[in-house]
Amino acid sequence: MGRDAEFSRLYAAHRDAVHAYFVGRTGDRAAAADLMQEVFLRAWQRLPELTDRSPDGQRAWIFTVARNLSVDAYRHERARADTEAALGRLPVATPPPASTTVIAAERVAVVGEAIRRLPERQRVTLSMAAAGGMTSAEIATALGVPAGTVRYRLSEARRALAAALASYDDPASTEER
Amino acid sequence: MSLDDALAAWAGTVRLDDETAAAIYQRIVATPAAPAAPAPAAPVVGVTGLDPRWWRDFTVDFAARMVSSTRATARAA
Repeated sequence: MGRDAEFSRLYAAHRDAVHAYFVGRTGDRAAAADLMQEVFLRAWQRLPELTDRSPDGQRAWIFTVARNLSVDAYRHERARADTEAALGRLPVATPPPASTTVIAAERVAVVGEAIRRLPERQRVTLSMAAAGGMTSAEIATALGVPAGTVRYRLSEARRALAAALASYDDPASTEER
Repeated sequence: MSLDDALAAWAGTVRLDDETAAAIYQRIVATPAAPAAPAPAAPVVGVTGLDPRWWRDFTVDFAARMVSSTRATARAA
């Protein structure tokens, strides 16, 4: 397989997963795209090193690069958040798609807000599953954790989201507690 | 709308769209690949260098040619 074809296959196989990982880490779709580009640029530049690996090995390599990059991104984001706080501005939330009904859009917004409040590990794992379309086993390989840990995080995340939706549907239920 | 539906809809708002993915791909493949690691130098086997007398003769001969060449130019001028 030629160099371009090999990279094209790698890109198609992992681009959504890597982007979803960074969405979970940064909470920002555009920043996630920038970081994803950086990961695949490194993969492109070091392709011979990657092509010798198994599919799981390639995924592990890609996500090791992604994790290292997100550490730098985290520092950058903290600096940006500090600046925004100093200026008294808040990040602009992504608007819901216009095609959804108002109620559905509100529920999507509730879920989005609940995801934002999740512990980072749960948020990243959920994002990789929901937006990246990854299985628990794939997420486990990517993050270097047991598949059981992934399933537990997903379960906890879903429990939190269900609670957020229940609270939205019946605000009195949470006020009574 | 169930939790799964809401989650799927949320995923749709954050998922990478094909247009952006294609643009990123084009930017990356337009980047030159990293240069290959230089090939290790071939080991020097069986080369002992030129005989010192060769260098001495060459130097003497070269100096003589330079001197004669300079004289010829001076006469012509």
